[in-house]
Amino acid sequence: MTYYQWFSILALGVCVISAAWHFIRLVRLGKPEDFSLASGKEIPAIVYSFTGAMSPAKKESAFLHLPTYSAGMIYHLGTFAAIAIFFLELAGLISQTGIFYAGAFMLLLSFGCGVGIFIKRLVKPGLRKLSSPDDYISNILVTLFQLSAAIVIMIPSTAPVYYLLAGLLALYFPLGKLKHAVYFFAARYHLGIFYGHRNVWPPKPL
Amino acid sequence: MAELTKEQTGKGLQVFENLKDSKLLTHLNSCVHCGLCAESCIYYLASKDDRLTPARKVDIVSSVYRRYFTVAGQIFPSLVNARNLDETTANEMVDLLFGACTMCGRCTMHCSVGVDIGYIVRTGRAMLSNMGMVPATLQSTVIAAVETGNNMGIPTEEFVATIEWMEEELIDEVQNPEAKIPLDQRGKNVLYTLNPREPKFFPLSISAMAKIFFAAGESWTLSSRMYDITNYAFFSGNKNESLLIAKRLFEETEALQAKTVVLAECGHGSRAFRWEAPNYLDRKMPFEIKTSVEVIAGYIREGKIKLDPEKIKQSVTLHDPCNLVRHGGIIQEQRYILKNFIRNFIEMNPCGTDNYCCGGGGGQLAMSEYNDRRMKIAAIKADQIKATGAKIVVTPCHNCVDQLTQISQSFKLGLQIKTLAEIVAEALIID
Ligand code: SF4
Ligand code: SF4
Repeated sequence: MTYYQWFSILALGVCVISAAWHFIRLVRLGKPEDFSLASGKEIPAIVYSFTGAMSPAKKESAFLHLPTYSAGMIYHLGTFAAIAIFFLELAGLISQTGIFYAGAFMLLLSFGCGVGIFIKRLVKPGLRKLSSPDDYISNILVTLFQLSAAIVIMIPSTAPVYYLLAGLLALYFPLGKLKHAVYFFAARYHLGIFYGHRNVWPPKPL
Repeated sequence: MAELTKEQTGKGLQVFENLKDSKLLTHLNSCVHCGLCAESCIYYLASKDDRLTPARKVDIVSSVYRRYFTVAGQIFPSLVNARNLDETTANEMVDLLFGACTMCGRCTMHCSVGVDIGYIVRTGRAMLSNMGMVPATLQSTVIAAVETGNNMGIPTEEFVATIEWMEEELIDEVQNPEAKIPLDQRGKNVLYTLNPREPKFFPLSISAMAKIFFAAGESWTLSSRMYDITNYAFFSGNKNESLLIAKRLFEETEALQAKTVVLAECGHGSRAFRWEAPNYLDRKMPFEIKTSVEVIAGYIREGKIKLDPEKIKQSVTLHDPCNLVRHGGIIQEQRYILKNFIRNFIEMNPCGTDNYCCGGGGGQLAMSEYNDRRMKIAAIKADQIKATGAKIVVTPCHNCVDQLTQISQSFKLGLQIKTLAEIVAEALIID
């Protein structure tokens, strides 16, 4: 293994430990006690929280902002794909074949979405005022990670840069909003519990 | 405002110390600053002021949390926009969390991640309450409830006299001396609560519900000692005062040995007693708690009351109170009741869990310092009502009735605003 591979693996270790710490902390605290008598069911509402409630048909943040919503979806898929490429690259399983080129194309598309989201944050005054340096740094790191994943598929000699970027991204994870990778799931879970307990979700016809 | 004392800052931060609430911890860490919640909030929609978006309200609270309770916020505060809890931050919090949020929860349903924005706003209000920074107008309403037993400070003799007067009116109306408004009677099926604005300004809404109870043959009573369903401390964020107010109703129900507490048409009061009080009291309630909406729907379903479909000829629309609908799951019952006897019923768009807040929630009606802003955001609701063409707006919440009445006047809509009990009582068939 090369030094840059070791660097990225160690950085990934830091990232995983941080994510696990946040996750375990939440799990240990458990579900908040609620003494009120439930009028609905929590499990179907939790399922709905992760499924129907996320659809553009139900969520204004999605249906009023379809281009951003679509870009966000592609961007997140691209991130998962770039992480998969990381392990495949580490295992030496990347080849210059059609399927990987298709993957590279998808990553370039997702890179474009990342750039679009970055520009939107930069030019929209309301969004700019809401943003902290962390919002820009997180976006830049993830977007470059995706770009480098696409390039490493096509040009294997760029691997050092790819591993370096992967390592930086992993090391940055504990500091900023990338932690939402853990908290997103917890937020949907708590929302499901809240609305399920009170019989608001899953929705019923009026 | 004078500089914050160290003690004030410490009290504010207490809310986050030894955080054992996984839900709060989750929502404090979840916002990704996408800004997509802006259009879900009436404050932003009516003003287009990006300072008033839900995201900014979440951010000001979580930025303080980050500053003192996260490693990044302690070491690199500007990286993650972690803010000191100083007078600038605290004053901004007062303006955003008290003055620019009705805690309606509409944004929560539409947040791209699922941040419980209302819960974060409540947490911020709790911080400000600990710091003694609740707007004086709201705090005086809480104090009135704490000191006198009801938020309007109505003396017991005045209350009893009003109830006796309403009883006479009811007997006259239904032509039956059995039509009573019982006071302080033990062992009844139902202990009915009131919003103090009823005995103070709108006593006819008490006789409306009494007429429904009479028609249904219900065994019920009011209490002269504790009838106030409101709990403004829920809005001020003060847990001790919320507990004290809730405990009084709990103890009165126990003392009167009522089987069910029926909550008057008051969105936040229903929420505070049905959903929050058991947690203030740290116990399950030994009696049933129902909203009057559920009770009336039940009477119709069971054939205990009958309504005349010829009675209300005008078009009617429904305003869904946020606390009852989004935070209480009472969504279908009010529709079931209205569709039972209203020929021309028109839904607002959007409605149900997506309905826009009237603008009077979250304690806004009690905080006169924000009146201008409150009436500005009311334009959203005014437009919604106008689009229905309805002449009567029904809402099962006295607080919403007040705001909708002001909307009707300010926007010259010429509407009649009624509670559900009032419109049902009007169409009630008394055999
Ligand atoms: S939609 Fe949710 S995640 Fe996005 S800015 Fe608003 S509160 Fe934050
Ligand atoms: S709770 Fe309602 S008023 Fe408050 S920020 Fe959300 S949408 Fe706006």
